[in-house]
Amino acid sequence: MITGFLLLFKPRLVRGMEINMKISEIWKLVWLNLSQNKSKVILTSTGILVGAATIMLVLAIGTGGKLEVAEQFKNLNAGAIDITYEYNGNEMSGGGMPGGRMGQSSGGGMPGGMGAGAGQGGSGMGGFPGMFGFSEQTNTENIILSQEDLNTLKEEVSGISDGTLSYTSNADVDGGDLEETATYTIAGVQSNYTQISNLEMALGEFLTEEDNTYKEKTCVLGWQTAKDIFGSAMEAYDETVYIDNRAYTVSGVLEEIGTVASGISPDDAIFIPYETGIKYLTGKNVSPTLTVIAEDVDQVNAVMEQIETVLAESYPEAVFTMSDAGSKMEAANQSNETLTLLLISMAVIVFFVGGIGIMNVLFVSVKERTNEIGILKAIGCSQKDILVEFLLEASCISLVGAILGVICAAGITPLIEYFSVRVELSVSGAVLSLAFGILTGTVFGFYPALKASRLVPVVALNHE
Amino acid sequence: MDKKKIIVMNGIHKGYRLGEDMVPVLKDIHFQVEEGEYVAILGPSGSGKTTLMNIIGCMDIADSGEYYLDGQPVHEMEEKGLNRMRNKEIGFIFQNYQLIPTYNILQNIMMPLIVRGMISKEAKEKCMETIKLLGIDHRLEHKPNELSGGQKQRASIARALVGEPALLLADEPTGALDSASGREVLKLFQKLHDMGHTIVMITHDMNVAKTAGRIVHIVDGQLYEGDSLPQ
Repeated sequence: MITGFLLLFKPRLVRGMEINMKISEIWKLVWLNLSQNKSKVILTSTGILVGAATIMLVLAIGTGGKLEVAEQFKNLNAGAIDITYEYNGNEMSGGGMPGGRMGQSSGGGMPGGMGAGAGQGGSGMGGFPGMFGFSEQTNTENIILSQEDLNTLKEEVSGISDGTLSYTSNADVDGGDLEETATYTIAGVQSNYTQISNLEMALGEFLTEEDNTYKEKTCVLGWQTAKDIFGSAMEAYDETVYIDNRAYTVSGVLEEIGTVASGISPDDAIFIPYETGIKYLTGKNVSPTLTVIAEDVDQVNAVMEQIETVLAESYPEAVFTMSDAGSKMEAANQSNETLTLLLISMAVIVFFVGGIGIMNVLFVSVKERTNEIGILKAIGCSQKDILVEFLLEASCISLVGAILGVICAAGITPLIEYFSVRVELSVSGAVLSLAFGILTGTVFGFYPALKASRLVPVVALNHE
Repeated sequence: MDKKKIIVMNGIHKGYRLGEDMVPVLKDIHFQVEEGEYVAILGPSGSGKTTLMNIIGCMDIADSGEYYLDGQPVHEMEEKGLNRMRNKEIGFIFQNYQLIPTYNILQNIMMPLIVRGMISKEAKEKCMETIKLLGIDHRLEHKPNELSGGQKQRASIARALVGEPALLLADEPTGALDSASGREVLKLFQKLHDMGHTIVMITHDMNVAKTAGRIVHIVDGQLYEGDSLPQ
């Protein structure tokens, strides 16, 4: 037995060139070190946690913003051009307005962005590219854009596929389940308004050419209006609603469209025939919006230039305001992208701060574990193995932080949504946050790891 | 037939820079250890014995001279070569055990094999006989701070042995132990010597040195064999 024992422990002289640890064993050491310092890992990873949560939320809010913009503009025809005229003179005011409603009517325009009109004091001016007109110039001539103007444009401007006239006004509405009269937006529109505005009917039919010609007292309700007045679209259909004390038959209800960027909100409006509104509601002194559709979206600017020329021939003294939907969409997207970029910059700063935090803690860790590094070196551990071990530790700490950050971001989301901010969490956002987190930790962990690996064995071993 | 030389040192010099001055620590060291020898290097504090141990242990390099360990020219080696020598040719036994506090005893003992590229399972199998020999098989899952000094030193010896090194290099192995534990460790060294291990022990204690088969004195950075020690 003793002989066997002696044989077993007889020194065997082993020669080889280079020694390296198995990566699986380095992972075990990393796990061992991290699992025994859980609180330190959590605290160290806090910076990365915040960074990862921020970047995930930034991406989610950015995506949410883009979707929000897309939804708000979804019914907007990209080739649509709105033309309005702002009357600044006062010598003609008061004429022909029934019921003292002068000044309440304004350009209707396309839901989702149009509608800068006289009654709104040119509120849309100057805000978007693609708009013409000079607000400082006074329009003293009282011009009311008409079907005749629309026909002229269709004839003389090449590249226009369709066009319509619309305006909005406010009126007292009664009927249905309403206990008392309420003020609603009334839109005077032509029969092709739904095609131009990409609106769909939920129930019934939209206003017809005949309704307009014969000034029928018929109307179409927006989804929310139908719900408010009658409880539902189904109950509203074929019922009577009183607009400015006149009975209108509900011929249909529009599909729900949701929030729109600006202009008429179809869900909350009541649509009546254009001529009916002029006869019973606004009088002739209305400031409608003339909307034309460019056949080719890429030719919108050229079409606008032609329109300007044609209108200048008809009304040499007048200045019209024109805005195109495409420019508005682009501006909204650009503004959203700028915001996203700003938030990403913030996230990068947070990551940087988190990375510095990791670096500091790893420096302290290297200091604390100098003796351990010395022991490892004394038993032959290579510089590379020590570097890899410390780098993996840094990466794992970052991974923990990044995972917690992603979880936190998901947890915080309902709170952000509570404040009406749209947040669209995504797997790609989570993966990107994790990747950024790990990258930050690894980059900032490199120098302390390198320092650890370069310690002189004798010095490290005798470190107190 | 001549025995194989495990250590061959010729004209080793080592000094440290103190400001602008160079302080010599080892002066023209000539030293040889044969396979299976048990040698004690005895010297007082400041004599240069730790520096000599560091050079023998491939943790430091000489300023000049030649050093062959198991026939391999250590003086010509760089980082990777020195790592390999420390892992495969030398088993260190330190005064203060130098066990990694976050690892358990088994993990500490296995480390030289893990560093060499073995996986844990293989390393554990290879370690078990050594662990049983040293009587610490019931302490494998414990952390170093849960063991007595004697047990820690036995774990340290086990770690030194598992790699089957050409040389066991012990630095004041009984220095931190009570006398009973110290005697046990020295008995263990004798046993290992009987088994054929080559042992070099650094100590300042003559009683400890006497347990070795050969005593080499180190005084002011110079080695003296047996009776050649100047008065």
